[in-house]
Amino acid sequence: MIAKPHFAFFDEGSKKEIRRATLKAVAIPGYQVPFASREMPIARGWGTGGLQLTLSLIGRNDVLKVIDQGADESVNAVSIKKLVQHTTGVSVTEKTQEADIIQSRHRIPEKALKEDQILVLQVPNPEPLRKVDAREYMTKRMHAEDDYSGAWLLLFEQIMKFGRMSTGASHPVYVNGRYVMTPSPIPRFDNPKMHQSKGLILLGAGREKKIFAVPPYTSVESLAFDDYPFTVESFEGKACKLCGSTDVFLDEIIDPDTGERTHQCNDTSYCMEQLNSEEKVEVENSYV
Amino acid sequence: MVIDQIHDLQQVYRKVVHSMSRPGSISNLNNITEKLEDDLPCNHAFFLCALTVLDAEVTFHVVASEEKKARLIEILSSYNMSRIAPVDEADFILLLQDAPEYQMNQALLECKTGNLHDPQQSATWIIESGLLSNISALSLSGPGINGTQQLQTGIQQDFWQRRNDKVKEYPLGIDLVFADFSSQIACIPRTTAVTITEVV
Repeated sequence: MIAKPHFAFFDEGSKKEIRRATLKAVAIPGYQVPFASREMPIARGWGTGGLQLTLSLIGRNDVLKVIDQGADESVNAVSIKKLVQHTTGVSVTEKTQEADIIQSRHRIPEKALKEDQILVLQVPNPEPLRKVDAREYMTKRMHAEDDYSGAWLLLFEQIMKFGRMSTGASHPVYVNGRYVMTPSPIPRFDNPKMHQSKGLILLGAGREKKIFAVPPYTSVESLAFDDYPFTVESFEGKACKLCGSTDVFLDEIIDPDTGERTHQCNDTSYCMEQLNSEEKVEVENSYV
Repeated sequence: MVIDQIHDLQQVYRKVVHSMSRPGSISNLNNITEKLEDDLPCNHAFFLCALTVLDAEVTFHVVASEEKKARLIEILSSYNMSRIAPVDEADFILLLQDAPEYQMNQALLECKTGNLHDPQQSATWIIESGLLSNISALSLSGPGINGTQQLQTGIQQDFWQRRNDKVKEYPLGIDLVFADFSSQIACIPRTTAVTITEVV
């Protein structure tokens, strides 16, 4: 016999605990609120933090979008969507503007968030100071004492070694001028999207048992030096080979046979939308 | 009709999250409060907010007249098995409108604000307030607010001066949830700068 799962998988006590932690996280932007991360039917480190946030938030009338590294159809996104849908019966969408809750791994969608949308980010390593000290007690103390010299030093060492800040993803940010936070492993390209965003951004780390948040209209500044300003990845002179977009985050694709390099939108639903609108114009024109 | 602990409280939670992330913005709980019965010692929105956050793992402290206090404690602990605690230990401070002023001031003085290692170990206040509206009485600014936001809560000026003292040492501080008689809620977390613009 297969028992019907409880709505949104969790028992109500678990939801309450996650909800209380989330409210505290919203009240203290950028601070990692500890919570009792539950066992989930997926492995820790594979989006359990984000999933727990989503399940504690979601209601019967919500529309959910889940993306994994920009794609709506990759394994992680599909299995999370299936689990949420199975336990709640909510409808899912691929269109960013139609979703109430967007759970994402490692990307912020190209389309800017709307007022009522909630973006849930999955975070594998929530502690920006972990490389500075391996002990949780010590990093917690550094946050308490507003001591972020270690975070600055990490960036300084990169400049010494490589002549520039070489963070590929999760470039640390100052939230509301107080806490240094990892924005989850989003590319630097997405960091500015967090600054004064219209929607609420919640970040959940299941394995590390932390929830943190960036409320809307909150200052989020990427760490940078006066003489080495923060820069996003540059795609100058490159465009998506499918839809032709230029001002988006592009993936480089190398043809294994010819060695030819092409670029493609990382946000698949955005790319699809561009293609569809081009198609629409084309069709309209050909019938005039 | 009774409220649905799963779906109705999820709705309430979403409204609280919305208002907490956008300080001063008013959310309406009308469609859920109408399911509640009338014999509560507090307003319906207040009761729903308390039900949403309280369970056996947390403690609360009620600041109200003796009669209502006893009734509210009895109802809440029988609904969700949450426990009462002294004011300086409670996770949630529940303030009813008829609370004696000296008790309220005492609670504001003594309630938890967390410590620098764990600023989340602070008290959250749920406050039964007069009619909430976005007309000028308080001017709010800070994270979650695009520019400034106006809010009127009907609570006396004195309260705000004490509250501002309590959140001076950010990230330490208290977070407030207001619930009024027409089923509206609004929140003011510790990050919000509150200035009194109108002398009542």
